[in-house]
Amino acid sequence: MAKEFKVLLYLNNAFGGYGFEEAAGMGFDLNEGPKGPGNLLQAQLNKQGEATGDTYKVVATLCAGDDFFSAEPEANSAKAIELLDAYKDADIFFAGPAFAAGRYTVSCGALCEAIGAAWGIPCITGMDEQSPGTDIYRKKCYIIKTGNNAREVPQTVAKMARLGHALLHPDDVVRLTSLEYIPDPREYDYFTRGQLRCTYVDRTVAERSVDMIVKKVNGEEFVSEVYPDRFDTFDIPKAVKDLSKAKIAFVSDGGLVYKGNPDHCQTRSNLVWADYDLRTLMAPGGYEVVHAGYFNDYVNQDPNRLLPLDVIDEDIKAGKLGGISDHYMSMPACTTVSAQCKKNGAEIGEKLKALGDVDAVILTST
Amino acid sequence: MRLEIDSYEIKDLKEGPKTCVENGVLYVNKKELEELILQDANIEKVDIQLVYPGDKTRILNVQDVIQPRAKVEGQDFPGWLGKIKIAGSGKTLSLDGTYVINSNASTNRIESGLLDMDGPMRKLSPYANTPNVVVASYAVAGTEERAFEDSVKCAGFKAAAYLANAAKGLAPDKTEVFDMDMYKNKKEGLPRIGYIFQCYSPQFDYLAVSDKIFYGRALTGTLPLVIHPNEILDGGVMGWNALKAIDSVSYQNNAIIKELYKHDGVDLNFGGVILVSANTDADNRDRNCQIVADLAKNVLNLDGVIISKILGGMPHIDISSMGVACENAGVKTCVHTTPLTAVGTLGDTILFNDECLTAIVTSSSPFERTVINFKAEKFIGGTAETKLYSSEMKLQLAGDERINIEQYLTAGVHDHTGGRKVQTLEY
Repeated sequence: MAKEFKVLLYLNNAFGGYGFEEAAGMGFDLNEGPKGPGNLLQAQLNKQGEATGDTYKVVATLCAGDDFFSAEPEANSAKAIELLDAYKDADIFFAGPAFAAGRYTVSCGALCEAIGAAWGIPCITGMDEQSPGTDIYRKKCYIIKTGNNAREVPQTVAKMARLGHALLHPDDVVRLTSLEYIPDPREYDYFTRGQLRCTYVDRTVAERSVDMIVKKVNGEEFVSEVYPDRFDTFDIPKAVKDLSKAKIAFVSDGGLVYKGNPDHCQTRSNLVWADYDLRTLMAPGGYEVVHAGYFNDYVNQDPNRLLPLDVIDEDIKAGKLGGISDHYMSMPACTTVSAQCKKNGAEIGEKLKALGDVDAVILTST
Repeated sequence: MRLEIDSYEIKDLKEGPKTCVENGVLYVNKKELEELILQDANIEKVDIQLVYPGDKTRILNVQDVIQPRAKVEGQDFPGWLGKIKIAGSGKTLSLDGTYVINSNASTNRIESGLLDMDGPMRKLSPYANTPNVVVASYAVAGTEERAFEDSVKCAGFKAAAYLANAAKGLAPDKTEVFDMDMYKNKKEGLPRIGYIFQCYSPQFDYLAVSDKIFYGRALTGTLPLVIHPNEILDGGVMGWNALKAIDSVSYQNNAIIKELYKHDGVDLNFGGVILVSANTDADNRDRNCQIVADLAKNVLNLDGVIISKILGGMPHIDISSMGVACENAGVKTCVHTTPLTAVGTLGDTILFNDECLTAIVTSSSPFERTVINFKAEKFIGGTAETKLYSSEMKLQLAGDERINIEQYLTAGVHDHTGGRKVQTLEY
């Protein structure tokens, strides 16, 4: 059934026609209908709509100065949402395109994130890969890839319109094993948003594998499906010279957490870590295992299998070891991405350092 | 070794007084099949149901899916049924277009598989689009869990052989010939390409016992083994005791083996298969990876290998260690990975740091989720109250109209042997 979609647009002082640097400090100005590139956007959207019989109308254009908005992007996004309250039945929101402009890209990104979160509608902007807004907001909204030249307005607006129309017209074609509809970033030319999806393609895994190994063996060019990140290398810390005076702390990714899992750790792809009191945790009834990567029963039967506190206590008693920290840092990690492990590891390291009395760590895994 | 697989296209499935194939219809005498399965003293009761695409039926506690196969001469599913005899030669009957859905209705596992015969699964799983024979077994009280799983496994194999035997004496719709000598090139001058089939990982061993996947015995703890590819296609290596994006059908039809056969003598010489299990400790891993590389280079004289990956994070480490050992020995590699998360970048998902592993193929995304909106009216192998696994540890039940399930628990959506037309991409 044909539908008229309501469109909202955000522009800065320059694209809104208020002037360049001299107008960069201006506050919000809300206009009915399209302004500046909004006319082109509306035309391009309607061109897309011909296929489905739908029409698009830019119902309002919000404008603000770059200096003004980017000084407080979050607070100003909240204000913008209040100002746009009369239009909250809009179907889609566009901002920019902002190309490589530092302040403008941040403003567009912040606004797209806020409106997407508040109203749950698709939010689209356009930026250059090197711009600060791309880095901060690419996971939060749809950002069409642009160059750094504002002369690319026509082709960028056309791409934004095409993506917008696609987002409002999910079809029944099964493209992903998750059965979601996500427009292909390669086809629609937007920055990927930090998501991975298993996608139906033309050839089987086996066909692609044989093709790739034959090419590799024959010295022909081939394209790997993954280009791995290279891990940092680091110097191994110096050994503890006198264990009888050293205090040890346990850190583990094996999933041992307080009974009841108060931090809501997940058995897979967990992102959080917690600092637990070791003796409370190890007491009968004090723990459970949250980890889908191994058969948990042995650790559930005896947590010393993961954190060998029984052996540590014997060593302390025998004077071989100085002590064990009360703090146990737990980060259940099964299929957690390495970037998150690095971040959490750094936080755990800082925490241990801040305790001031930990000389070494025993890191147990499964 | 020469194997002929005679395939019979099954278009419909019906109950009948005699199990037979007539004009593409498989008639099943349920009573006779039930009696065959109940010969196992561990099985108290078996629920045999014929299910069809479009049925409002959810099959629960799916342990395996099996293609009906029977030997014209020789031992069906050797090691599980009857004595061990090396599989892979002679003639095998195979039914296409129907499967045995094997359910362990008495399982206590919290992660267990399912198949819906209608709803979204129709778009994702080949098994939701064929008429199938469900065999749901119930344990005699007090039967040890792992022993019962083995009984369930054998019940599935018995059903598979029983059904395929119905085609005996009929003219097949298709005959495939798998004929190769690992030590003889089909065509000189072409590179020798082999396959390293990582087919098991003991990290998930339920109750700390490994599944019997190789001639009725576990592979865990064994050394890497040179094996003829036909042994895998013909029932020497079968599925696990739990559906983890792994089922017997995918082993019986190992897509990499079939693809290498297709290319044998065209642009490569198929040089053989090395069968491995992943290792849980570093010392065994190091040794086994060196042995794999040695077998590839010095026993099979390979120029290149495809290394396929089985479910889990630990097998990923084995893949990289084997790959590096092969590359160092002068055998080029194409390695599989299975991104285990739906966030981040593809680069993020790789746990190895070795620049020689330049050819990487994504073979499945087992832990991705699918929201399934489907109101089942009938449940087999469980009830509407059967709990379904959630990695957030949220309660969801088989009777829920909307479930959020990881794909490795949905029968047929993924395959670790390369048979699916899927690739993991960034979005």
